[in-house]
Amino acid sequence: MAAMASVLSAFRYSDSLVVVGISICTAFLCEGISWLLIYRTSTYKSLRSSIDRASKKLESMKSPSSSTDGASASLSAAGRRSSSRVKKMDRVETSLKESTRDLSLSKFKSGFVVAVVLFVIFGLLNSMFEGRAVAKLPFSPISFVLKMSHRGIRGNDPTDCSMAFLYFLCSISIRTNLQKFLGFAPPRGAAGAGLFPMPDPKTS
Amino acid sequence: MKKVKSAKAKIEHENGHALPFKFAKLLDPDASWDKDQLGDVLHWIRQVVGLVCGLICGAIPLVGAIWILVFLVLSSGIIYGYYANILKIDEEEFGGHGTLLQEGLFASFSLFLLAWILVYSLAHF
Repeated sequence: MAAMASVLSAFRYSDSLVVVGISICTAFLCEGISWLLIYRTSTYKSLRSSIDRASKKLESMKSPSSSTDGASASLSAAGRRSSSRVKKMDRVETSLKESTRDLSLSKFKSGFVVAVVLFVIFGLLNSMFEGRAVAKLPFSPISFVLKMSHRGIRGNDPTDCSMAFLYFLCSISIRTNLQKFLGFAPPRGAAGAGLFPMPDPKTS
Repeated sequence: MKKVKSAKAKIEHENGHALPFKFAKLLDPDASWDKDQLGDVLHWIRQVVGLVCGLICGAIPLVGAIWILVFLVLSSGIIYGYYANILKIDEEEFGGHGTLLQEGLFASFSLFLLAWILVYSLAHF
């Protein structure tokens, strides 16, 4: 412990290592709580498998190779088959949306506990590092990023990095990859995955 | 070739055989890919690229926001080169270029910034 403290004191911005270390521990803690309250339940497992099944079914129905060969059938028969296929796709999509919604709801109730833990940890970090630059940015951030990166820091140097910004980066990178590694990332077929998939908000 | 590969993947799924993952598959242009498997591989490749680029940028050090753009272009180029030229997959089978290129993008960007900032702060001050 003394050796670690002496190593840390050798660095001017050793606080950044403390922030990263606490973020890693927080990520594991939050995933542990989520596993306890959400992921190990049969409700979550069954919803997840139904979403996976429905999305794979929808993909196979949408792919060109699954379309009916109309060249050898009469126009009216092809039309009827196409209409019933569209109706079937609508049913599968509706089922997928309902399962996604139910999955979100099941996580929401337990996500409250994780949110409280994160709030406490953030408050603790804030009290430890308020007013101090924990790292140095190798670039000058744009104005709306500067509001977070320079939050609570004295002085006008835009390259001073606050705890909040570093913690934000840690949360996104560490927690997303941890969820992915542990297999807790939201299923791809779930509606609203988006261009920038964040760590699962219901558990963070 | 691409239609044969996708038909083969479909048959294997219909028979209920899960595709076992082997690392040799990462460089095999004849391998058949499940959408989830390919997405995961691209995600992790992006994370490694982000981490390595961040470590290098912080160590040299490279300073200036221009390197963020360089990283985004380089990272996307590597991913595109990998799935288009090494795996030779048909991107339409997997949701198009957009879907493949955005796999793990935000997490890798955050990881790049984190590594860059940490190494720069610790090694040069």
